Amino acid sequence: MSWAQTFPALGEDTLRSLRQGIDGTFREFTREHGETLERLFDPLREFLLASERLLTTSPWPLVVLGLAALIWLATRSWRIVAGALAALLLVGAFGMWDDLMKTLSMIFVSTVVALVAGIPVGVLMSRSDRVQRWVNPLLDVMQTLPSFVYLIPVVMLLGIGRVPGLIAVVIYAIPPIIRFTNLGIRLVSRDLLEAADAFGSSGWQKLRQVQLPLALPTIMAGVNQTIMMALSMVVIASMIGVQGLGQPVLRAITNQYFAMGLFNGLAIVAIAVLFDRVSQAYGRRLQKHQGVNHG
Amino acid sequence: MSRLPLSLAAVSAALLLGACGQKTEAPANTQTASESASAQACGRVRIANMTWQSAELLANVDKLILSAGYGCDVELVAGDTMPTLTSMIEKGQPDIAPEAWVNAIREPLENAVKDGRLHYAARSLPDGGVEGWWIPKHVADAHPEIKTIDDALKRPDLFPSVEAKGKGAVHNCPSGWSCQITTENAFKAWGAKDKGFVLVDTGSAAGLDGSIAKASERKEGWLGYYWAPTAILGKYEMVKLDAGVPHDKAAYEGCNTRADCEQPAKTDWGHTEVVTVVTTDFKQRAGQAMDYLSTRGWSNDTVNRLLAWMGDNQATGEDGARHFLRTQPELWKTWVSPEVATRVEASL
Repeated sequence: MSWAQTFPALGEDTLRSLRQGIDGTFREFTREHGETLERLFDPLREFLLASERLLTTSPWPLVVLGLAALIWLATRSWRIVAGALAALLLVGAFGMWDDLMKTLSMIFVSTVVALVAGIPVGVLMSRSDRVQRWVNPLLDVMQTLPSFVYLIPVVMLLGIGRVPGLIAVVIYAIPPIIRFTNLGIRLVSRDLLEAADAFGSSGWQKLRQVQLPLALPTIMAGVNQTIMMALSMVVIASMIGVQGLGQPVLRAITNQYFAMGLFNGLAIVAIAVLFDRVSQAYGRRLQKHQGVNHG
Repeated sequence: MSRLPLSLAAVSAALLLGACGQKTEAPANTQTASESASAQACGRVRIANMTWQSAELLANVDKLILSAGYGCDVELVAGDTMPTLTSMIEKGQPDIAPEAWVNAIREPLENAVKDGRLHYAARSLPDGGVEGWWIPKHVADAHPEIKTIDDALKRPDLFPSVEAKGKGAVHNCPSGWSCQITTENAFKAWGAKDKGFVLVDTGSAAGLDGSIAKASERKEGWLGYYWAPTAILGKYEMVKLDAGVPHDKAAYEGCNTRADCEQPAKTDWGHTEVVTVVTTDFKQRAGQAMDYLSTRGWSNDTVNRLLAWMGDNQATGEDGARHFLRTQPELWKTWVSPEVATRVEASL
């Protein structure tokens, strides 16, 4: 029964040459195309740097006022504005203002990128079952593959810093927005679409004026989830040189600084709660505003 | 040094690790260890398997030799320096840290040695660990005038930063390692900022290694902190920049290794002592295994070559250790008695 004790794996040599082969091919690829790829992401880098510069170099009272105004516009709730301000100022008071701004900027940009890339994919998915069949397993992989696995190739291709960090964050954070967009559009009632057809709407009109508005509350739930997932990647992204609240957490881990880790961890929680309340309140407002609800 | 973070506030680590460091029931009958009985005498041994390559390799060599040669029941325990040493000091577990870079945790370590909780065994790397700022060999070849840190800092254009346009980049050591502080202070001491450089945070060892791999594969410029012996230096040829000044022990230990250092001095890193640390409990019951741990040590060259072999063959620490024992008996046989050597050889 000795054959049943050890699993009949491929030989050590076969496996090694397989790994070496894959690594070698990838290395060739980075040598050939790394620079081109890197240049491709230049606009993204500029966007990241600009957003960070805006948040970190503007005087802090202006930033606070600006954020408060944004939150008010989104939620129309003084309670949320007051809570958000209290959270921001408290985090700032504990000396984490700069890191907070860097993280906010990173989360903002990755959310924008995830939405710009994710919503069209979600729309496509909702229109074709075949696309849905192909995209769904891919989304599963993106959500479950340990991030370090793709951090290695990303660093080889793009180096360390904000852009590779952003890519890692977006890979992890984009699935909810795709899934929820798809779901929201698929949930729009058939009768309404028939009515739209009866009025002679083109496909584009149907999408823009019927499906997307009706799916909006669901899509907002996706946005909310995307932001939360992006925030949960902050510490991992800092392992490839993204600055912000993740870095001190990392420092705390290696040094066993309990308090430092706790402060920065709680700061991440604070902005997560802030983002969550704001985006949920905004979603609810949209829903109320349009008086729709699908159950 | 590098991966020895500065924190001395390590009690929390001990508390956390306490849960894992369950008391091993070490056989008490170790005093009978005679030449022939040594195979049964050693008992259960936990060896700290640190997270960097050279330490992993040495831990595996120790494991093979102690288990085959001295009959120890060896278990490798993964962990980084600070948590491991804290646990050794507070809990007496694991038993052996094969490769401890002393510099940054000197204070708690020496206190523990003074209190008789820990003991220094052999120097694992008699050459000492080498730290400093390095550049890729292809850059050094193309610009032979760059020999020292000052020379390199004259040419920000050769080491361009991706994110800060028109500036040069100095890659920092990973977050939380004590070399992050020495590098930050060196950056200040050499006035790199005024010379058009920014200090790039690499985040983790993987990030730092990745940035070197990327620059070397694409023949780009790279300047930053690194240390030897390491696998990366076996894989990609790098040249250490001369600091241009000698090691100033007082300034280095008094200021440059501290985060609140106001006037960091230009000083070379100096060679780091790299030692084997064992717990008192183990020292008392180890018998002859202690002789081995008090003699063995290898040169940086040997380690670099082994790490390069491991990189080429995608080998694990254990593969590397076996490779070493098979190919360099002339070295390791000087560490053990002939009987032990025979037993180890038979096990390969």
